[in-house]
Amino acid sequence: MRPRLRLAIVAAGAAIGLAVLSFAVMPTAGQAPAGGQAPAGYKASRSPFKDGKPDLNGIWQANNTANWDIQGHAARQGPILELGAAFSVPAGLGVVEGDEIPYQPWAAAKKKENAANWLKLDPEIKCYMPGVPRATYMPYPFQIVQTPTHVLMAYEFASASRTIYMNSKDESPADTWMGWSRGRWEGDTLVVEVNAFNGETWFDRAGNFHSDALRVVERFTPVSRDVLQYDVTIEDPKVFTRPWKMSMPLYRRIEKNAQLLEYKCVEFVEELMYGHLRKKTK
Amino acid sequence: MAIFEKRPSRALASAVVLAALATATIAGQSRPSGTRAMPRTPWGDPDLQGVWSIATITPFERPGALAGKQVLTEEEAAELEKTNLTTNNQDRRDGAGTDADVARAYNDFWWDRGTKVASTRQTSLVVDPPDGRVPGLTPEGQQRAAARAARGYDSWEDRSLWERCITRGLPMIPGPYNNNYQILQTPGYVVILHEMIHDARIIPLGGQPHVGQNIRQWFGDSRGRWEGETLVVDTTNFSEKANYRGSTDRLHLIERFTRVNADTVKYEFTIDDPTTFTRKWTASIPMSHTDEQIYEYACHEGNYGMVNLLSGARVQEKAADGK
Repeated sequence: MRPRLRLAIVAAGAAIGLAVLSFAVMPTAGQAPAGGQAPAGYKASRSPFKDGKPDLNGIWQANNTANWDIQGHAARQGPILELGAAFSVPAGLGVVEGDEIPYQPWAAAKKKENAANWLKLDPEIKCYMPGVPRATYMPYPFQIVQTPTHVLMAYEFASASRTIYMNSKDESPADTWMGWSRGRWEGDTLVVEVNAFNGETWFDRAGNFHSDALRVVERFTPVSRDVLQYDVTIEDPKVFTRPWKMSMPLYRRIEKNAQLLEYKCVEFVEELMYGHLRKKTK
Repeated sequence: MAIFEKRPSRALASAVVLAALATATIAGQSRPSGTRAMPRTPWGDPDLQGVWSIATITPFERPGALAGKQVLTEEEAAELEKTNLTTNNQDRRDGAGTDADVARAYNDFWWDRGTKVASTRQTSLVVDPPDGRVPGLTPEGQQRAAARAARGYDSWEDRSLWERCITRGLPMIPGPYNNNYQILQTPGYVVILHEMIHDARIIPLGGQPHVGQNIRQWFGDSRGRWEGETLVVDTTNFSEKANYRGSTDRLHLIERFTRVNADTVKYEFTIDDPTTFTRKWTASIPMSHTDEQIYEYACHEGNYGMVNLLSGARVQEKAADGK
């Protein structure tokens, strides 16, 4: 059975937005604004395909520390002593609604274990495809290429990408790293349902994880010319006791010469992964 | 034969693909170019969008037996396809227990290299020089080629970019599998999704200058423009590590994409690298419409082949030392 995930978010201007759902959690003060609706009076420009949909084309990037830890966290010492202040961990308010991730007891223990063995276990360290939603808020830009039938999200990290099939009922033929994305428009919001994950990816460097039962619902809403509101619902009955949400703004890279460059990180991890197999010089 | 350690990400419904390709070819022949308007995007650019396969059995270079011949007759093409099917498309298991047998572990059940010659019936994908052969290497190019040939299994750095799962790179060349490419267009961009080792190549069309000379990339830095019906893409800023047939960071790649009918985009590329080749040369590859789609090819994530290959080499050395 597929639990319904549709969010009924009521955004009420500057006032507190309250989700009235079975799994609703009171957002704490200072939370990222509840999304899903553009501010009154803002109308996004339309797609050049003349299908009447908003135009999300562009190069976008999150500007937060969610990739370090999607929950609120103080600054802390980094794992490599020699890197000192340059590569220690910056603080962040977190992007999880209510700042609580509803792990099942075994999973809470596993998350702690993941965090304790971060360098050994985090797939990012090995340049593996980062999965969704993590790819969105890694500290690298990504480009949206939008057509009426396909929306490509091309990420700088690891040359990962995913295609969102619009109004498709096709199922993935196999489990994947980046998931299987199907999209639809709800007003000016691009709603993407992602499934068929292989369970190998994480949410962040703090050990937050999921299983292959992960189902993600993403909502991309243009709230100004250069900002997309990004709201995500996470559901994974093998790992969590209820669905939970995160949200953040995504900012357009407005530099005139903005373009994705390569971060083909495989060559940066080969020594780490295969170094023990290198021929020893006598 | 190269050893392909990595299993293709999917077992293709090959028969379906091939049937689709065959149909596309026939349909294409009934609609010669120029007889009807080519599709356009809503903003007026020629429309190259779709999923295209470059799988073909046409050899990259012209075989000696066909010297002087530019195009096969229909009968010769049919004969070549038939021969190809009987020689390649079999489940060979002779020589069990030998290296050759292991190297054949991926037989044509796994491959997806097509069964058809190029729809143009050209005798080689290389079309210039007119002999259909890649021109000779410069002395410097020869030195580098010799150094490459001497490489073994000391480390991953001795292995190809493909085996390392870094990229299949540029230009687009038919391979044994994952020959599908998807083109998407928006105003100002043409995007080519490469299934092989998952690359999304984003080509800006806006006339922007190339990035600075000190930015060197595996895919270089591409800039596209329309010349009539043809998309022309100039790529510079290659990393010297990108190494296409020995090319260096001096490589200037020029690609031309032209939709010649509903089911075919003609893809031509010219290799200009005076430090490596004694002259410029050009290949032409038809891209055929397919109803397939692009799937995730997680290569590095499952690269047990590299671990096994290096482990095997170390074991062999140990055994040799013990003798």
